[in-house]
This record gives sequence, structure tokens and C-alpha cells, in this order.
Amino acid sequence: MTYALHVLNMISIYAILALSLNLLVGYTGLLSLSHAAFYGIGAYICSLLMMKLSFPFLPAMLLSIVGAVAISFLISLPSLRLRGDYFVLASLGFQIIVFSVLYNCVELTQGPFGISDIPRPSVFGLTLTSAGSYLAFSVVVAAVCGGLLYLIGQSPFGRVLKAIREDEIAAESLGKRVSQFKVIAFAIAAGFAAVAGTVFAGYLRYIDPTSFTLVESIFILSIIIIGGTGNVTGPLTGTALMLLLPEALSFLGIPDNIAPNLRQVIYGVLIILIMRYRPQGLMGEYRYQ
Amino acid sequence: MSKLELQNVTKAFGGVLAVDGASLAFDEGKVSALIGPNGAGKTTIFNLISGLLCPTEGDVYYDGKKISGFAPWRVSQAGVGRLFQDVRVFDRLTVRDNVSMAFKGQKGESAIMSIIKRWQVSREEKELRGRVEELLESVGLAGREDELAVDLSYGQQKLLALARLLAAEMDVLLLDEPTAGVNPRMVDKILELVRKVVAGGKTVIIIEHNMNVVREHVDVAFFMNEGRVAFSGEPNAVLAAPQVKTAYLRM
Amino acid sequence: MIVQLLINGIIAGCIYALVAYGFALIYNTTRTFHFAHGAVYTFSVYLFYTISAWGVPAWVVYLLTLAATALLGMTIDEVIYRPLVRRKSSLLIRLLSSLGAYIIIINLILMIYGNEMKVLNAKLQPTHKFGNVILSEVQLITVAACVLIFVALVLLLRMTHLGKTVRAMRDDPELVSALGMNPQNVRRLVFALGSTLAGVAAILKGLDVGADPNAGMVAFLSGTVAVIIAGVGVFNGVILGALLVGILQSFAVWKFSAQWQDTVTFLLLILFLLLRPEGIFGRRRRVEEIAA
Repeated sequence: MTYALHVLNMISIYAILALSLNLLVGYTGLLSLSHAAFYGIGAYICSLLMMKLSFPFLPAMLLSIVGAVAISFLISLPSLRLRGDYFVLASLGFQIIVFSVLYNCVELTQGPFGISDIPRPSVFGLTLTSAGSYLAFSVVVAAVCGGLLYLIGQSPFGRVLKAIREDEIAAESLGKRVSQFKVIAFAIAAGFAAVAGTVFAGYLRYIDPTSFTLVESIFILSIIIIGGTGNVTGPLTGTALMLLLPEALSFLGIPDNIAPNLRQVIYGVLIILIMRYRPQGLMGEYRYQ
Repeated sequence: MSKLELQNVTKAFGGVLAVDGASLAFDEGKVSALIGPNGAGKTTIFNLISGLLCPTEGDVYYDGKKISGFAPWRVSQAGVGRLFQDVRVFDRLTVRDNVSMAFKGQKGESAIMSIIKRWQVSREEKELRGRVEELLESVGLAGREDELAVDLSYGQQKLLALARLLAAEMDVLLLDEPTAGVNPRMVDKILELVRKVVAGGKTVIIIEHNMNVVREHVDVAFFMNEGRVAFSGEPNAVLAAPQVKTAYLRM
Repeated sequence: MIVQLLINGIIAGCIYALVAYGFALIYNTTRTFHFAHGAVYTFSVYLFYTISAWGVPAWVVYLLTLAATALLGMTIDEVIYRPLVRRKSSLLIRLLSSLGAYIIIINLILMIYGNEMKVLNAKLQPTHKFGNVILSEVQLITVAACVLIFVALVLLLRMTHLGKTVRAMRDDPELVSALGMNPQNVRRLVFALGSTLAGVAAILKGLDVGADPNAGMVAFLSGTVAVIIAGVGVFNGVILGALLVGILQSFAVWKFSAQWQDTVTFLLLILFLLLRPEGIFGRRRRVEEIAA
């Protein structure tokens, strides 16, 4: 029972990550390998504020969002005029640098030792100590994030993003300031990734840099590639699939020492199959060009 | 001063002069055409106007103000729109969305506003739907709002691109080969639209290879060759000029 | 001291140069962001480890390993990239597929060999002293081998028909058939050669420090940085770019400590992407190429 609660909590957290990355990749067409960096920035800012400055959870979460958005401008403002594959590389570089900072600035982040004993959040007076109550919390947060991202996607803003994905030059020729839209989309994605980070920190009560690596960014990307981009069902399907797959494997009795690797092999195969036969993902919108 | 003017504009790429000291003036309420052999610099002129290129020498003026070196979004926000040779509709967006995204001043284009002022944005969207239908009606694409742009024929995509330009309320329309690759019925439709637009006081500049179109629908023609404006004026006069004739024969 | 750092940097740079040259060969001609190049690297060193234990003569070990590595590279292209090219899939789709291939290969290797480092060369390394500089025997061999290989590559590209075809392919893929070679065969050769270079790099590095599953990604990323610094579309300049990366890393480790090596490498990448995306030797892309 508690294990099921654990999986559901993680699904909520990854749903936020997938839906926010989708705004960037699926709607705007910007492939980014730095989502885990913002996930980590959110987790760390929130945890440090709670541990070192005794902030309560909600203000800490808000400041994490602000911090992640601010940091996102550091990479987006200079890089968003770069061509597609160059931007991917810049985002990859940024991801690695952020990880390095989290790992090596030991005085600030406690580096590889991580931050432990993070207090469970208190929301409106209730401290969420049980896994069940935390699940209710994480589901509510995921639903709110999902709802907001849906509204943003369906709005005229989202429409311009999709136009940019289809043809940047045409969009610009119709009076849309493309760089500005991209920077804002990137900031929104970063902000929501930070929210996921805070929920994660409050849940596990322990964070360390190894949860926020390039491999993690690739994993989140895999979720939306496989599940589908450009709408809401895609990322949700992908999240459920990718997080339940390990459970399915252990159910089949695959030995623990090779299970994680076998899982990755399956992800890899799925990515290749999907890219070849159904590039929009299992439940995605239209065909990915 | 004319609505849009290029004064002694030169564009050099390394040692090659794509445009060489060209001066052109385009007036409101008129259809102007750039004609000439391939590689004469016509598309380069369009790129220089729309901000995709910056002149090496000379300047571009719009409503008397210098716009050379402006970023493309500034030029288009000022009212200069473009129909590309390869059309460039938003393939996987619906016909409706292709047109809707072009309207100016949409509150919902701010992400924050679309959340905080959701009801206002909804109302705006409803109103825009009506305008989209009108525009599609005027270009002959009525009833196709929910189709994907990629599923339209080439000619229909051109009409869609024109509808987009109209939605964006562009004052100057740069049309790169608007009638190329399109069946004669569509050509008539496109030219009818151009006439309507011009009658409304807009400035239309086309790059055209079809000499019948130039003779019958164009007010001012500029013949370009090797980056220079060799001859300009009333189309029949331009086409009759000996140097124009020889240039075309040599093609 | 400085000289030792420089030499260390050059040795690391040589390895990166091999990887980068292979990557550049593939990217410049086929426009494929061959992420799986890093997996091919890792495959090579682990295969070498296995075949070494078979008791066959050394030259057979090298031959079999490199042949298999070349074959792996060609297979990845044949099975994964070529079908996508036929469907005219976007470059991003090919990049993502390459990522998938990388994930599959690396994890298969991990499943077979486990996560620890494997030692390739059980004997203690004899070292040689040149003035103040100390080099191990393997490092010397690395430099010597790399110099030979680079000279061969430069000559290949400049003098042979294949080299001319490869350069033509970079500029205009349509021309290749006009030059008399079958485009498919050139593609196969490019993948074979590029993968072999990665294989050589992996073996040399493995003989020096052992085989580890992460080394492929490290070498690949450093190689990518080298290609960006040199400029996309460049071949021989990539060697210089890689040496620069190696030297920079060496000095960064000395000045800031090893933990900041990645940060320095990627700050360099980002700086180049922002300030000089065409690289040291590359040509500036014209806007007209995009807008035409």
C-alpha cells in the first residue's frame, strides 16, 4: 500500500515535469536538455530556505519559482537566437554546469552529501506527515499546474508558440516577436519544473545532486517523446507508462541488478520505434516533423 | 515621400553585389512589380525591406522613417507583411488558427493575461472567430476552418497566407510570386484580392514572372538585372524597352 | 610544471581529436547528430577487454575489435538513421533516435559487464622522463599513433577521391553521385571510418586508465565541444579544437581542481555558441540561406 502511494506521488511530480517540458518542446518546438537543472534549482532553493532560514513551505516554493525563472533568463536571453541543434547543445552545457555547481559548491548546497531532514510541508496549518496526506497534496499541486499549463497552451499565447514551432520566420513576418515568446516559454517551463522540485524535496525529505543530472533531463524528455507532445494526454500517458514500467519489470521477476539497465534499454527501444513509426508519441498531437 | 522607399541600396555578400545601388519607390493604392531574370536581386530587395538582411549601403524608408537594420519583427509590426515564395503556412495548425494568430493586439498573447484575465480573453477569442470567418469567406476558403493547413492545396495555402496578411492588417504587402504554381481559377481569385486590397489604400509589391499578370494588373514595374534597377515605369512601356527585351531573350 | 600540464592536455586532446574527427566526418556529411558515437566508443573498449582474454595474438585483438566497432557504427546508420532519412524526418527526430541508440547500447554493456571499471593493462606502466616531463609508455604510444593517424586523415581528405567526395558531400550531397561514387557506399565508409577512430581512441584511453562505462559520454561531449570550437563543416581544424579543449581542461584542473573540469569545458562551449557559433575555422551562415 505504501509503495503504491510512493509511485503515485512520483507520478504527480513527474507529471508536472512532463507537462512543463511539453510547453517548451511540444508547443514551441524547442528541444531542451536542461529541465532537470531547473527541477534541481527548485528543490534546492526551497530546501535551503526552509532549513537555513526557517521559511515555511509555501513562501519557499514561491521564491524557488522566482529563482528558477530568474536563472532561466541567464541561459535563455543569450541562447534563444541560436538555431535548433545549437540551442540543444547550449541547454546541455547549462545542465552540466548547474549540476556541477550543485555538486561542488559544498558550503552552499552540501554537495554530494545532500540536504537531509527537510521538514514536511505545513499547508494551511496541517502538517503533511503521512504518505497519504502528502499524496493528496502532490495531486492537488499537479492538478493546479496541469490546469494552468493547459490554459496557457490553449490560449492565444500557446497558439503563437505553436506557430513558432511550425515556422519561426513566418511567425516573425506576421509581427510576433519570436525571441520574446521563446524566452517566456522557457521561463514558464523552468518555473513549473521548480514547483516539481519543491514537491519532491518535501516528499523525500532528502535531496542530493544525483537526482538532477543530464540523465534525468533525458528521462523527462523521453517521457514526452514516448507519451506524446503538443497536448495534455501525451505527457500524462508518458508519465504513467514510464513510471509504472519498473514496477511491471519487477513484477516479472527481473533480477534487481540488471532491472534498471533493462528498463533503460526498453526506453531506448521505445524512443527509436516511436521516432520511426509514430513521431508524435503514443498520444500526441499530429505528426512531429 | 512614397509609402516605402529604397534609396541607393547596395547589398554585398563577400565580393558579390546582390543589389547594386538600387533606388525604388512604392506608393499607396498601387500595385508595383519587381520583374527580371533569376538572380537579379528581387528577393534580396524583399529581404532588405522585411529586415532579414541589412543594407551594406543606402537606406530603406517607411512612411518617411528609416527602417534599414530593423529586426524583422519591428518591420512587420510597423505594417509590412510578406507572402513567401514557399508560402510558409503553419502546417499543423488549423486554417482558423493560422489566421487567428495573425490578428494584432491580442490580450491573450501574454501568458499571464491569459490566466488572470481569462474571461476577457475568451470574449476576445469569440469575437475573433467571427472575423476569421469573414476573412476566410473573402479569400474563398469559407467552411474550411478546422482543416489543417498542410492538407490544403498549394493555391489554397497561398490564399490562406493572404488571409493571414489581411488579418494582420498589413499596410504594405510583399508578395513573392503570388501566382506561381497555382491553377488559373485561383490566379483570378488571388488577383481579385490584390485589387481589393489596393483599392483599400494598401501598398502591394509583387515579384512576378508572368508577363500577362504584369501587363494587366500592375501599375508600376521595376525591371531589375544584376542587382540594378535598369528600367521602371508603366508596365507595357517597361516590357517594350529594348534592353528589357534583350535581357529576357538572353535568359 | 606548465609544460607537463600542456603535455597532459595534448595527450587528452589527442583522444578527443580522434573522437571529434570521427563525429565531424559523420555530422558534416550526413547532418546526423550521432549521439551514439559515445556508445560506439564504449563498445570498442569493452570488446577489446573481452577479446584480449581469448589468448589470441595482439594484432588479432586490435583487428577484431576495430572491425566490430566499424560494423557497429555502420549498423546503427543502416538500421536507425537511414530509414529516417528516407522518410525525410527532421534533424531533431534523428538526434532523438540517436539518443535512444546510445541508451540501448550503453545499458546493454552495463548489463553484461557491470558498473565497475575494468583494467586492460595489468602490468605496471613503465614511465619515461623528458626533462621535467613524465609520460607513461601508453601515453607516448598514444601521441605517436595519433600523429600518424592525423597525417593519414589529412592526406586522405586532400588527396584521395574518397576525401574529395567527402568534402563535396559536406557542401552539397546531390553532387556525390556526379563524382562517381555511390552515395550509400560513401555513407557506409564515413560511418565505418568515424567509428573506427572512436574505437582507436577508446582503446588507447582504456590502455591508459582502464575501461569505464562513462568514459564514452565524456569523450563524446568533449569531442562535440571541439567540433563546435573548430566550426561545423570543418574537418582538420577539429584536431586543433580538440587539443585546445584538452589543454584547457588540464589547466582548469590545476587552477580550479578537477571537480570544475566539466564547468570549464561547457562554459567554453557556451561562450563559443554565443560569440562565435561558426567556430574558429567555420564560415558565417548567411541569413538568405534561411529566408530564401
